[in-house]
Amino acid sequence: MSLTAPLAFPPEQLAEVHRLQALYPDRRAALLPVLHMAQDAFGYISLEVEEYVAGLFDMTPAHVHEVVTFYTMFFQRPKGRHVVAICHNLSCHLAGAPRILTHLKERLGVEVGETTDDGRVTLLSVECLCACEHAPMMQVDDRYEFDLTPARVDRILEGLR
Amino acid sequence: MPKLTIDGKEIEVAPGTNLIEAARALDIEVPHYCYHPGLSVAGQCRLCMVDIEKAPRPTIACNTVATDGMVVWTQTERVLETRKSIMEFHLINHPLDCPVCDQAGECWLQIYYMKHGLYDPRMVDEKVHKPKAVPLGPHVILDAERCILCSRCVRFCDEVTATGELGIFDRGDRSEIGLFPGRELDNKYSGNVVDICPVGALTDRDFRFQVRVWYLDAAKSICPGCARGCNIEVHVNRRRPHHAQGRRVARLKPRFNAAVNKWWICDDGRYGFGFVDDGSRLRSPLQREGGQQLPVAWDEAIAGVAGALTAHPPAETGVIASPKMANEDLFALRRVLDRRGVTQVGFAVRPRVPGDEDKLLIRADKNPNTRGAELIGLGGDTAAILAAARARRIRCLWIFGHDLLDAGWPEAETRAALGAVETLIWSGTNANATSALARWVLPSAAWVERDGTFTNFEGRVQRFRAAVDQLGEALPDWEILGRVLTALGEPTLAARAEHWFRELGRSVPAFAGMTYQSIGDTGQMVGATREAARA
Ligand code: SF4
Ligand code: SF4
Ligand code: FES
Repeated sequence: MSLTAPLAFPPEQLAEVHRLQALYPDRRAALLPVLHMAQDAFGYISLEVEEYVAGLFDMTPAHVHEVVTFYTMFFQRPKGRHVVAICHNLSCHLAGAPRILTHLKERLGVEVGETTDDGRVTLLSVECLCACEHAPMMQVDDRYEFDLTPARVDRILEGLR
Repeated sequence: MPKLTIDGKEIEVAPGTNLIEAARALDIEVPHYCYHPGLSVAGQCRLCMVDIEKAPRPTIACNTVATDGMVVWTQTERVLETRKSIMEFHLINHPLDCPVCDQAGECWLQIYYMKHGLYDPRMVDEKVHKPKAVPLGPHVILDAERCILCSRCVRFCDEVTATGELGIFDRGDRSEIGLFPGRELDNKYSGNVVDICPVGALTDRDFRFQVRVWYLDAAKSICPGCARGCNIEVHVNRRRPHHAQGRRVARLKPRFNAAVNKWWICDDGRYGFGFVDDGSRLRSPLQREGGQQLPVAWDEAIAGVAGALTAHPPAETGVIASPKMANEDLFALRRVLDRRGVTQVGFAVRPRVPGDEDKLLIRADKNPNTRGAELIGLGGDTAAILAAARARRIRCLWIFGHDLLDAGWPEAETRAALGAVETLIWSGTNANATSALARWVLPSAAWVERDGTFTNFEGRVQRFRAAVDQLGEALPDWEILGRVLTALGEPTLAARAEHWFRELGRSVPAFAGMTYQSIGDTGQMVGATREAARA
């Protein structure tokens, strides 16, 4: 998690990298899970991390950069301790997501894509997360939060330290 | 071998042939962007759709292998409609900056749009904008807005050079070609991505804004950069000289030869023609008078050189030929040497830095005709000739092309050798430190200014052709040597390079039976005709 950690996986994680690589006929298939591990370990995917991971796969950093820039779940800049991602797709939109988003921006004091000054929360606005039956909804870290109202959002935000 | 029918015509092709190549064999062009015969199949551009009987919908030809009994149609209404849609799709965000794009005139967006364009665009939205004029490395510049994301350049760097510098970053309509931040596209073959980019996204920094491509003329040639002898085209600007400040050679492009360089050439070869229009070119014969070299007429220079060769006994005469000379020149030189009985001749000069070499094309020997010089029998000990000059046993020395003062020998020793010689004759295209010491300087035509042949390291004899006029009074070496031979009392009738080559074929067994016709555009191996005759 800390950004000052040396840029290498500890031995247990390296073993996990090798286990994942061995699962596929082409070991590059393990790039996605390894990038997720790297994001957890190093906080975000910096260019340095891309070069490190490229080395683990005998790839050039350009090809790791392709993958990192393609997927929105990889952060190329430092992110907050928590990530709040509100769905802005059709169902949520009709069910009041714009109002929830405005509320989130006011409460956090940031625009979409920004992180609060205290490094607590990064706010994102994303495409459909497949929970239309509970619109409007958002994802908070690994959790889904359903049927949002401003009051519910406030309670959720209070729980984020 | 599978036999199939394309547009009603039957053809048999090798197993594994895809439908683009099968159609090509019938002279039917299936429009395509991402497919390149030298790269893996990506199936990225979707332009190569054809109809295959029994298939429910059009199929991409690049990724479909011809099978026995297949019936293919390349011009059905459905296929034509599909091409039009794909073209529309590729042009959604295209900036349409043809008027300022170097690719204009040889751009596959332009070419295919003429035939398959919609001509009535439906785009009303603001286009997505991307970086323009981004230098990627020493030779290549990127305009990301013009890119159609065919990935040819990416695959070239992955599969041919295995350097993997390029990638496609981001996604959807924001996808763009690029480098890992902070890196450069600086591999030894980077210029090839410009050739294979079907549009104006990757262009050549050296050629950029020099001249419109429709003003260029082309001649088939051979790269003189190393012993590989890559097949090239020389593109020259004769019609708009003022567009490029008088620079005549606009660019070199690879010419396909399956046995030599396939589709590629290296950057050293591609950009190695600067000397042709350089200010150091020698434009007339020179004679040293006291401390100065002054222009003289050819007749005077020829008489002077022939006089020196006659005045000095053969034992006092040495020649350092050049493996950059054509077979025709070397053979004419052979005649001059035989006429005078000169035996102290060599051509190999140790380079100051050893040449680099790789597994793809580049050879450590940076000379195009070492093999030819050996076969014509000029391969003596050059260092011994210089030693003899230093010991004043050689009084007359004729050097071709080399700058011996910039070679892998101790400069002081070479300088002593050159200083000890009474008559120093120097032939070549560009003045250098060695030519500056000569009594007689004979200006040679550059390879693009004349016809000739080189023999590559494998023994393949390949033709190069004149692309531009000779500069000033410069002449091909074979012609200069022919005139010297005449002055020595052996009149020669050889008025063209081809005549000298015919003579060579008569005299040197390795070249027996070869003619310019039999060499053709792809070259011929030495000894091939003899073997054919024996068989
Ligand atoms: S830059 Fe050219 S070769 Fe590379 S992907 Fe774009 S269009 Fe294709
Ligand atoms: S490999 Fe040699 S012959 Fe080929 S382009 Fe390069 S320098 Fe020229
Ligand atoms: S050439 Fe077939 S998809 Fe591009």
